[in-house]
Amino acid sequence: MTNSYTVKGHSFLVGQAFVGRGLMRMRRLPSLMLPTIVMPIFFVVAFSGSFASVVALEGYGTDKAVNWMTAWAVLQGAAFSGLGGGGLTATDIENGFFDRLRTAPINPSVLLTGLVGYSICRAVIPTTAVLIVSFCFLGAEMPGGGLGFIMVYISAIGMAAFMSFFVLGIVFIFKSIKSLAIAQIVMFSTMFLSVGQAPLEAIEGWLNGVAEVNPISHVIRMCRQGFLGEVTWQQTQPGLIAMLCLIAGTAIWARICYRKVDI
Amino acid sequence: MRNPIEAKELSRTFGDLVAVDGINLSVAKGEVFGFLGPNGAGKSTAVRMLTTLLKPTSGQAWVAGHNVMSSAGAVRKRIGVALQDAAIDPLMTGNELLKLQSVLHGIPKRKARARCGELLETVGLTAAGDRRVGTYSGGMRRRLDLALSLVHEPEVLFLDEPTTGLDPTSRVALWDEVRKLNQEIGTTVFLTTQYLEEADQLAQRIAIIDEGRIVREGSPSVLKNQVGAPTLRVDVWEKDYNAAKATMAHFGEERPARKGRIAIGLNAGTRGITVVLKALEDKSIEVQHVELDEPSLDDVFADATGRRLEGGESA
Amino acid sequence: MVRQPQSWAPSLFFPLLLAAVYSSQFSKAVNLPDFPYPDISFLDFILPACVIQGVLFGSTNSATDLAGDIENSFMDRLLSSPVSRPSILVARLASAFVYGLFQATILITIFYIFGADLAGGVPSALALMFITSLLSMAVGSFLIAVALRTGSQEVVNSLFPLIFVFIFISSAFFPVELMEGWYGAIAKWNPLTWVIDWTRGLTVEGFSWANFIKAVGIVTAIAVIGVTIAIGQLKKRLAAAS
Repeated sequence: MTNSYTVKGHSFLVGQAFVGRGLMRMRRLPSLMLPTIVMPIFFVVAFSGSFASVVALEGYGTDKAVNWMTAWAVLQGAAFSGLGGGGLTATDIENGFFDRLRTAPINPSVLLTGLVGYSICRAVIPTTAVLIVSFCFLGAEMPGGGLGFIMVYISAIGMAAFMSFFVLGIVFIFKSIKSLAIAQIVMFSTMFLSVGQAPLEAIEGWLNGVAEVNPISHVIRMCRQGFLGEVTWQQTQPGLIAMLCLIAGTAIWARICYRKVDI
Repeated sequence: MRNPIEAKELSRTFGDLVAVDGINLSVAKGEVFGFLGPNGAGKSTAVRMLTTLLKPTSGQAWVAGHNVMSSAGAVRKRIGVALQDAAIDPLMTGNELLKLQSVLHGIPKRKARARCGELLETVGLTAAGDRRVGTYSGGMRRRLDLALSLVHEPEVLFLDEPTTGLDPTSRVALWDEVRKLNQEIGTTVFLTTQYLEEADQLAQRIAIIDEGRIVREGSPSVLKNQVGAPTLRVDVWEKDYNAAKATMAHFGEERPARKGRIAIGLNAGTRGITVVLKALEDKSIEVQHVELDEPSLDDVFADATGRRLEGGESA
Repeated sequence: MVRQPQSWAPSLFFPLLLAAVYSSQFSKAVNLPDFPYPDISFLDFILPACVIQGVLFGSTNSATDLAGDIENSFMDRLLSSPVSRPSILVARLASAFVYGLFQATILITIFYIFGADLAGGVPSALALMFITSLLSMAVGSFLIAVALRTGSQEVVNSLFPLIFVFIFISSAFFPVELMEGWYGAIAKWNPLTWVIDWTRGLTVEGFSWANFIKAVGIVTAIAVIGVTIAIGQLKKRLAAAS
């Protein structure tokens, strides 16, 4: 009587189902989506407006603030989207839906991948929105061409992935929606302590040292390179390495924290 | 070969609180087993351990032949679970939830589609299948919950307080569902409840749990008979009163009754009633009215714990 | 308040983070041509704005509480008691002011420890505290009006990003003289820019009655408009209740 169905690609289908469920919820509850689109658009408008003249300083390598700030806004949006998988899980844990998922015979790694996949899909939306605003209304330029755009999307996806793994870990530990606030504070701090808004040459004091060793700085540079000039392997490689290490590290962290919610 | 549900000295503590205190269980294949107890007796904790959701502090349990700790995955493949607070995403439709559940359990797409339609029909939600769960009534949610737990045709079905908060009509409808499942497919059902009637109606065997311990176990009728003999009350014409009283005295001790009525404690138990009536007929005594009063499960509970289950709860 | 660190911790944390990050990231910005105060550190430049930002982030609390009272109908009970009607409003406004004072004191102390330099000394610090607390009350009165109108915590909380927008499109973190185009034009006409510029005058150049009176004047004007709207909404709610 036992029905141990074995479907080819079960893991893939489960991952797909999680992504689908997340996107469907977003469609039905637009208030979930609004902040993740509006905030990064506001960021790019505000940062390139407020700090319009700052690019005249040494090290920025562009004469338009929007060229510098678009990547920063995209990655902020991607980090916000990274909260998505964590937010969904925190809600599920609080209302008990997570127990239903746990009684299903699925591998925790598959579950985590599905949730992160949802965050990644989410990240594409604000990224595109910011690019549209930057290029259509703020006069951004992309000397790096198509490759530059590819770099933007790769870094945004990477950023969403490791932020999402990180947030999931926090959610598994605290098992509450409130814990998202903690995750946000950590997220924001690590992002701000980087070359997000100013190049290393312009940063003075302790922050210079911190921004230099902050792996997120490499990801930001990879994302930004096409706006400032040619896309080069020299700038791409450290970004990719940092990104992959962050994804691997946070994935392990999330998997370890998962033990807090399952036997 | 192990029974579908077995537990040995299963315990769980939360800090100082002992929620489940060394329970032993054995539920046979095809049985409907009721777990009866008041709020906070440890029912849900026990179910959460048996369904791999909670780690036992000590003791062992096997469900569908696999250990809940060391082979949780194998257990999960074979059980269906409907938890107390019907945990359902209100933004999804009934159909979508069933589809998600099918994917989680690795049911091939084509088979899943047929099965979901079938299940919706079984629980009477075909028309509501494409509506968001948020718009469902309490009874509809419970029925959907039941359907969800059945998607993968589980060997063992766990129902944690399936009818708490439901109106009487929905309650009876859900009982019918569970009975049908058990009789037609032979699914083993483990159900917790705080309602005496539910345990009585559905379960072939029950365990009464109080403060984390099992205080009584057995079939409802046997348990009730253990508490005391059922009371048989008979009305006869006045002329036959004394003769009837003498006849009935052979079958049990006299019990207080209103004027004109004879009451005895039926020593042979419920089944003894035919013998008594036959004896009266043999003496040409015309019986006008018969009443058999069994001890209730509440009496069983009171006998075991010194407290009453009903009354505290507005069941 | 002590039991709910999540309600006030972010409003202290974010201004401090921004101040720390901006003062080292844009430390060289003071060298830009046209920068209004070329001789000061960037931390000194953004100090008043960071205090104001922190206080404004906290200014939603009082209105959120009020909306909460309406939501759980504590307000109805209050209205059915012989509590005088205006005192309902006055208590909320006073709490916004005191709360702002409390936050400003903490923020200024922390900035002072980390080497901020207040040109005007104690009088400037006191003036900064007073102006920011008054501003907290002024902005709070608008939020209270919204709370009275909608009676929904969610709506009040959703106005939070709007405060952020007002702060950003102003001279808070960068001088408007160095902004361009339409963005600079909006920033120039943002009343918050005037408040910040005059307050900054007090902390950077030293205490002057002229700047103080101008800053207090504009904040008072904002407060008067806000309180008037709030009174109107309170009257409407009272009329609906009776």
